Amino acid sequence: MSKDITFSMVGSGGDGAVVAGDLAAMACAAHGLHVVKTEAYGPQIRGGESSSTVRIAATPLAAQGDAIETLVVFRFTDFARFRSEMTLAADGLILHEPDDAPPPELSAYRCRPVPFAQLARDAEAPNAKNIVALGILVALYGLPAESIRAAVRKRFKKRDATVISANLRALDCGMEFGAQLPSPAVTFATTPQTAGRLLLSGNEASAFAALHSGCSFFAGYPITPSTEILQLLGEWLPKIGGTCLQTEDELAAIGAVVGASFAGAKAMTATSGPGLALMSEMLGLASIAEIPSVIVNVQRGGPSTGIPTKSEQSDLFHAVYGGTGDMPRVVLACCDVEDAFHTTVDAFNIAEEYQLPVIVLSDQAIAQRRETIDAASLVHDVVSRSVPLEADASYRRYAMTENGVSPMTVPGLAGGMYQTNGLEHDVEGRPSAMFETHEAMNAKRYRKLDAIAEKYPLYRRFGAVKPKLGILCWGSSAGAICEAIERTEAEGMRVAAFVPRMLAPLPARPLQAFIDSCEEILVVELSFAGQFHRYLRSLVDLPRNKTRVLKRSGGKALSVEEVLAAVRAFEGVTA
Amino acid sequence: MSTAAEFKTDLKPVWCPGCGDFAVLNSMHRALAAAGCEPHETILISGIGCSSRLPGYVETYGLNSLHGRALPIATGAKLAAPRMTVVAVGGDGDGLAIGGNHFLHACRRNVDIAYVMMDNEIYGLTKGQAGPTTPTGDRTKSTTYGNPDPSLDPCALAIAAGASWVARGFSGDVKGTTELMTRAIRHHGFAFLNILSPCVTWRGEEQHKELRAKMQPVPAGHDVTSAEAALRFTDEGEVLTTGVLYEASRPTLLDQLSGIELMARGNTQPARSDFLAAYRL
Repeated sequence: MSKDITFSMVGSGGDGAVVAGDLAAMACAAHGLHVVKTEAYGPQIRGGESSSTVRIAATPLAAQGDAIETLVVFRFTDFARFRSEMTLAADGLILHEPDDAPPPELSAYRCRPVPFAQLARDAEAPNAKNIVALGILVALYGLPAESIRAAVRKRFKKRDATVISANLRALDCGMEFGAQLPSPAVTFATTPQTAGRLLLSGNEASAFAALHSGCSFFAGYPITPSTEILQLLGEWLPKIGGTCLQTEDELAAIGAVVGASFAGAKAMTATSGPGLALMSEMLGLASIAEIPSVIVNVQRGGPSTGIPTKSEQSDLFHAVYGGTGDMPRVVLACCDVEDAFHTTVDAFNIAEEYQLPVIVLSDQAIAQRRETIDAASLVHDVVSRSVPLEADASYRRYAMTENGVSPMTVPGLAGGMYQTNGLEHDVEGRPSAMFETHEAMNAKRYRKLDAIAEKYPLYRRFGAVKPKLGILCWGSSAGAICEAIERTEAEGMRVAAFVPRMLAPLPARPLQAFIDSCEEILVVELSFAGQFHRYLRSLVDLPRNKTRVLKRSGGKALSVEEVLAAVRAFEGVTA
Repeated sequence: MSTAAEFKTDLKPVWCPGCGDFAVLNSMHRALAAAGCEPHETILISGIGCSSRLPGYVETYGLNSLHGRALPIATGAKLAAPRMTVVAVGGDGDGLAIGGNHFLHACRRNVDIAYVMMDNEIYGLTKGQAGPTTPTGDRTKSTTYGNPDPSLDPCALAIAAGASWVARGFSGDVKGTTELMTRAIRHHGFAFLNILSPCVTWRGEEQHKELRAKMQPVPAGHDVTSAEAALRFTDEGEVLTTGVLYEASRPTLLDQLSGIELMARGNTQPARSDFLAAYRL
């Protein structure tokens, strides 16, 4: 294949834009291609506007598609809602219903009327205009038709046989129509190599990571865009002897997690911004009482209810600073779907070994997109809590140790009883209001962070070995930046990126070395207030005179082009 | 079998002399022993408040947690360690105001724990503000002109929300309270025990006398299986009926979850890695 392709479909709920995107993604992935599929919705429960974007390539993809080559629009009023978030390629092709004329601002693109609904009716499949459109895309791009047919059969296998045949007729009809259109002449020269490959979303990867880690207890409250984790673990934990509890609110969800963990279980909850806000107080308890807890926070637009269905990187401050008192916690951040697995397993490992709350910051762009990954990459060592097997009168729950980690007994162990609390306490767990105890215990709890930072240098560094420009970013931004850097290499620029996967404690030493090695620095983030930039400035030396910031609100994915534009604005980046 | 003495710790309670909670603590030591519990197989969870200090004085696994959150924590502990005896304790403000929502849902789920609410009709730890069970019109530190709110009967709430065992006791009656607590701990399901436990410091010496004067044992012949009959002994005004008001047998949260586990597991227990099967290409 000469290059990768990106196409989108936009319509109202019921038009099937998302279903068609699913089918294309599934079929192409099954054919051995690499796929990233994203969806976007309006706020309506049913019937609102929705869109689906599929990017396909023969080689692995780092980022979601952000320059749409072919756009299928069932209704321009729906497209208008996404207009500011969808970028068309310069020579982009727009296929639309003949009676729905494109708005003037789209006249720069190639617009081509296609009677989707009529073609569907002609094929005696009036509900399948989305499949007609899919057929056209199959013809345009030479997508693997047999795989698409198989995907259609699989998708509708629980429905009447006539539904399958109607959809297959619609597909053929679309392919016939598409054959008459000028083709972009992309050919897919691939050897189907699907063994061991998965088409997985970030939320699915997080849920699997919980199972992989030996999590036996999950409690959660539904909240977009993290709900799939609750649903999946509600299905899976009972199968393997674990428990999933849907609680009355997020206060109870994190409470149940702390209770289960106190009783010896590996326990997790998942939420999004508003839920994380409610959990703050209990995270303080988990921190002071030193109870392992894992919280996956899937970021969305904020503050408050914000934009529940779209991504943003603005829960950073809350994750690293949120809470009262001096409250050691660990914050990890995943960069892509596969990384959602690894960071979640790391979160369990760190929580269990160091007995503190660990927050994983995912975001909607990772959590709800599907991408092809190697199943073989989902391997990660699992650490379990070190539990005393016997205890006597000399047992001290909060005994002072070099790395701050004290022995934690599990209920059921004779002689291991202790009474602890959210009050400051002494080595036995008994309440203490004394300065001396408070200072010593704060120091003990914070020592754990030093040990964690030492043991877990979690970051990614990619790009030029000797960069002139260094990019600092985190989370899902890494994908677009990785791809942008690949392109700058081809243009002879020397750019590299440093992506911390642990935000607290920040891998400050390697990060500082990276900053010092670059002539100029670009900080990139989807936070209007520039939380990441401000956070970095508080922890590393980020010289003002060599640092620029690309920051904006979320709600629209970071595109490779906007990163490239920011990179090119630096003079002297070219070697 | 452990004795009451084996459930004692050597930590001295922070409570004021004459506090009703001393008697409740005494009952707790005795009831845990009487119910056949072992210290290492018992978990005590509390919220925040004077009475929530109680786990520190009982030799079990104990957690004095956050204001209002004892029940979700206790629920998580019980589900994670079903073989442990889990008892949640706290005060009226903790359980009915800030933690009121959790109370409803713990009752509804019929989670297998005992919940002991030490009810002094006041916020004691913060030094005397009106709470959900403070009588209307009472002048407290936060109600200078009298409490404008109607008071709440926690037993009525528990019965309405679906608790499967509901009783009222009085800390002044250690023997009776111990018996009720023992039954609460043994009950299969969510057992709610409301213990009137006077606050000598913020409700005065009179509260103890007034409460004692109101106490009447539940009449012989009361049908404990009838929620309707039980509700007649709530919001009584001049009388406080003590004893078991309501007792029902219905599936507990653990029963429900065991059923779900059987359903989910089918004939062969899947491996954790089977999760990925649905996503393989």
